[in-house]
Amino acid sequence: MCHMTLSDVAKHAAYARIAIAQGRRERGELYGRMVFFVVILGVFSSLWRAVGETGLAIAADPKALVWYLAATEWILLSAPQIHIEIQETIRRGDVVYRLGQPASFVMAEFAAGMGAVALRMPVLGAMAFACAFGFTRWTPPLATIALFIPFAVAAVAMLVALHLWIGMLAFWMQDVAPVFWLTQKLMFIFGGLMLPLTLYPAFMQRAAALTPFPVMLFTPASLMRGTGAVRPLILARDLVLWGAAMTAAVQWTYRRAMAGLTVNGG
Amino acid sequence: MIRLANTLGFARALVATNIKASLALRGAFVVQALFMALNNVTFFVFWWVLMQRTPSLRGWRLADIQVLFGVVAAGYGLTVTLAGGVRYLGQAIEEGVLDTLLTQPRPVLLHALGLRLQPSGFGDMLSGLLFIAWSGQLSWRTAPAVVLAVVASALVIVACGIVFFGLAFWLGRVDTAARQLWELLLTFSLYPEPLFGGALRFALFTVLPAGFVGYLPARVIRSPSLPDMLMLVVGALLYLVFAVQVFQAGLRRYASGSRFTTFG
Repeated sequence: MCHMTLSDVAKHAAYARIAIAQGRRERGELYGRMVFFVVILGVFSSLWRAVGETGLAIAADPKALVWYLAATEWILLSAPQIHIEIQETIRRGDVVYRLGQPASFVMAEFAAGMGAVALRMPVLGAMAFACAFGFTRWTPPLATIALFIPFAVAAVAMLVALHLWIGMLAFWMQDVAPVFWLTQKLMFIFGGLMLPLTLYPAFMQRAAALTPFPVMLFTPASLMRGTGAVRPLILARDLVLWGAAMTAAVQWTYRRAMAGLTVNGG
Repeated sequence: MIRLANTLGFARALVATNIKASLALRGAFVVQALFMALNNVTFFVFWWVLMQRTPSLRGWRLADIQVLFGVVAAGYGLTVTLAGGVRYLGQAIEEGVLDTLLTQPRPVLLHALGLRLQPSGFGDMLSGLLFIAWSGQLSWRTAPAVVLAVVASALVIVACGIVFFGLAFWLGRVDTAARQLWELLLTFSLYPEPLFGGALRFALFTVLPAGFVGYLPARVIRSPSLPDMLMLVVGALLYLVFAVQVFQAGLRRYASGSRFTTFG
């Protein structure tokens, strides 16, 4: 990656443009996710009101919790599930043709994923925040939202890299879906998707700190709650460190895959 | 009676063939089932953590949510195990796969539903039953109510799948939209009933029957009563009959896709 020139960037950016063009034509999934936002935020605004009736302190401000959920869901749903496409490319053997192209397979897939993100994020973000406002009749300060957005983009990029890594496991596994399900559910828990991590038992919070999931979901979304508990510079540092670790994992997996790849036929 | 016996025999053969095919790759089968069970357990952690903080949510306790979760998981698992083809019904209609089924002397819908089996469904069923057992509601006395609840839930899920994916007869490519509706049904069925009121609750017992997938079966297990059981049975059967009628109506206007494909 350190040796990438401007022409390399332009080359991989082409994959992003293709992904955007494809995404524009296949809008069904995007519409489905928009409907999902309405449903899930509606359900949870009702849930947090019910929890608030019990007197639980965390639910003293259900509006902030709904915005927290809107933020985590926005990050999660903005990331395309590129592991499915990568799995199919590997299983069909098409990966061999991709390896011969003058572009890194890994970078090309990542660029395509980020192209899809560029299309989804603005649309889903508008929907998420419109729904959150609709159910709560309140918005966090605009400065808070402005601070949150770049962290959300960084978090989504990490998610794309994670899906890329899962997809590459198809070099060894027939079906990577079980790995995706488990990773996704671990992210739901240790990333604090529906419930802020501060509500979890101490041992679970300690376990979560050992995973990249809090910096992808909980910590950026906690900016929306406006408690001041999140320090942006620390979050930025953690994102850089976990991003570097993710990049190393992806590259290592790819090198191992290439070392063991057997190509039959021509 | 002979025709019914033949149909049941055919259904049994379909299921047996699907199970044999899945077990041919034993490792993949076990991994999918196990990971799905693990998937459901980790998803439940949210409720466990929340209910540690608040013992009751509009009258619902953790045990009630375990029953709800369990019955929906088991019902869904039963659906994708015995009628896994329902998720691919839209694709089958659009791509002309029904052509091959129409030439055979077997009920087309039954054949289409039984074309596939999802190994992860066993994981769903296992985790579903474990949740119900964990809630303390599973005993020899309540076992019949549990079986009734799970089967009824599965019937409604299948019926909804037939209607949603069967829209392909009229609208063509509906796979994405149908899948979203199907997931909406399951999403609503996993949250406690008291969270929903008014028009939404009415909708959840009619057009999007999450009430018959989760709430009513859970109520039958938690506090069995004859009126609730009757309502559940009648509701599930009505949805199934409606779904079959929708499919038959769609089949009457189905035109062959003239598609060459391999089958079997």
